[in-house]
Amino acid sequence: MSNKNKLFETIASVFNTDLDSISEVSSPDTVTGWDSMGMVHLVVELEKVFNVQFDIMEIADFHSVEIIKTVLTEKGVIFDQMPS
Amino acid sequence: MIINANAPFLLPSDIRQHVSEALADTGIVAVRSALKAVRSLPNEQRGKTFRLGIVRTFTIETQIDILTLAMSALPCQIEIKISDLENIEQELLNPASDLLQWKPDAVLVLWRLDELLPALAFTPQVLSHEARLSAILALVERIENLTKGYLDVSDVPLILSTLPLPQTVDLYDLHDGSGRRHAVEKANAVLLNLVAKNPCFFLFDFAGWAAKKGAVAFDQKMDLYVRQPIAASAIEDFSLFLARTLRPIIFPSAKVLALDLDNVLWGGVLGEDGVSGVKISYDFPGNVYRRIQQRVLELKSSGVLLVLVSKNNRKDVDKAFSTLSGMPLKLSDFYEICANWEEKNRNLVKVAERLSLSLDSFVFVDDQAFEREQMQFHLPEVSILQVTEDPLTILNALELTWLFDRFRLSQEDFGRHSDYQLQTQRKELEQNSSSAEAFLWTLELRACLATVNEQSMGRVLQMLGKTNQFNLTTRRHMKADLQGFLNSPKNIILTLSLADRFGEQGVIGLAIAVAEGVDILRVDSFLLSCRALGRGAEDVLWSALVQKASLNGFRLLKTEYLRTLKNNQVSDLFDRFGMERLTSNQNCTEYQLALPCLVKSPAWITVT
Repeated sequence: MSNKNKLFETIASVFNTDLDSISEVSSPDTVTGWDSMGMVHLVVELEKVFNVQFDIMEIADFHSVEIIKTVLTEKGVIFDQMPS
Repeated sequence: MIINANAPFLLPSDIRQHVSEALADTGIVAVRSALKAVRSLPNEQRGKTFRLGIVRTFTIETQIDILTLAMSALPCQIEIKISDLENIEQELLNPASDLLQWKPDAVLVLWRLDELLPALAFTPQVLSHEARLSAILALVERIENLTKGYLDVSDVPLILSTLPLPQTVDLYDLHDGSGRRHAVEKANAVLLNLVAKNPCFFLFDFAGWAAKKGAVAFDQKMDLYVRQPIAASAIEDFSLFLARTLRPIIFPSAKVLALDLDNVLWGGVLGEDGVSGVKISYDFPGNVYRRIQQRVLELKSSGVLLVLVSKNNRKDVDKAFSTLSGMPLKLSDFYEICANWEEKNRNLVKVAERLSLSLDSFVFVDDQAFEREQMQFHLPEVSILQVTEDPLTILNALELTWLFDRFRLSQEDFGRHSDYQLQTQRKELEQNSSSAEAFLWTLELRACLATVNEQSMGRVLQMLGKTNQFNLTTRRHMKADLQGFLNSPKNIILTLSLADRFGEQGVIGLAIAVAEGVDILRVDSFLLSCRALGRGAEDVLWSALVQKASLNGFRLLKTEYLRTLKNNQVSDLFDRFGMERLTSNQNCTEYQLALPCLVKSPAWITVT
């Protein structure tokens, strides 16, 4: 599975929503349950799935899937340029 | 950490595996999936329901699913209601609060210095020594006022957590007599004192857990982000620790420890190595077995009955116990010694019959996998400690097992070993008496009837929670329910104490009858401790209840027998009492009796 799919699947399963509804532009405004408590679940899950640790200020900036993807890339996670 | 192998988990093995993996994973996806699997089980496999209210000073919401999962493994269907942050007094001192109106079975208080005394937790040296001391004093007063006020409005068990040390403790905190450490120690001392004095309070040793877990217990990042201090990596351990703390409120503890002898209580095989060849001493490796014996002796002192089940010749065992020095255990510490060549499960069945105890109150320890498997196969209800041939695993299993956990030791616990030995003497006398009634006359039985009072409250609640076999309705009332019954003067609540020429047995019977209007009295509960069976004590209790109901002007006594897996022996008790059967199906038989009515009490029991 590509890392992009892994990321989308993690977000979809944490917030109990359809995988199809998740995209780079998904954000707390578009995904039900993505509030500060939901973010705690998401951070725990992402740290486990990608074997990374986020800094506290990185979490504060998690305003969209795109930003999470960028932070993960900075931590060495490679996202293929596969068609979504 | 995988689920402690010595925890009492009764779920089917595939679900248990699922739960264990999800707890180790701690991620919400795995936890949700395991919860779904548990919830797909039939209701009877999911255990009792239990409502836990939580008041707290920090965030725990996102971790409740993991706690629910840990509890589900007991098994227990827990429902949790969390109050708003720092709404402790608002919820606990107001009988109309959301939390108390929700009718919880217990309330947990989770707190820490960071919120209780933030100035002392974060900037202690900004305050003067006097200001720090007065802040600590105010905290102590707050805890005392909270607990005192709570008792005025509720008798639901209150589980108070100790305060963990803040993450930062500077050296001067330890030396100036008014620092963070001082505040925490002082508050915890007050909490320990409170639970020692009041049976309504229980302790959740959050501080002890945090100290054992170390720095990895807490996650400063999530603490600052959403005030959720407990680290994701530690939440499984925390949840299991909390489940362990709650378990004795919900489940009765095991009563009997059945122990193998060779390579368990001493090293080596008596039949092969001889008395001089077995290892038990103050030095290694005999000291390991000595420690095992010391632990067993401690369990015995806390009310656990010991049974020896060993494939050995009895005379060899007697000789070894009388010859070997440095043995903490004596043969007289065992309620029964089964040193023979029979299958161990057969021995345990006989012991259970003699004790009038069900086999699910037995815990079995054996270093041989074959013996454990055989026990598991024939008697799946017996709990088996997971050990190996390494004696350290036996010591650890006996030290870490949840099965004997209880919050407080009652007089009955301290005297259980001698109580049951007296019971054996009674049975021997019974076998020597020419008729059953002639035997009962020889016992010189004396019964005392009373209502529930402060002294008997604990024992009555214990009987309501634990009595299975001689229990007509098996209603597990908690203290608040009982208090409710007691508050209405029309209800009749009787306890029965029994004594005979061998000694006192204390409170062994209970009847709760609730008035329904002016004329009707309904028997809600009628139960007898299993150690008082076969003496006619139930007839004394019944006779007294009917007499009192008649005197109080009731015209009709109603009741029912509610069948459980364990109370078959009383399925026709109300028929024997002469009640009229109204309706009957597989689970319930309804009865009534017209009043006034006179029921004879057995002549061989003197009632005072």
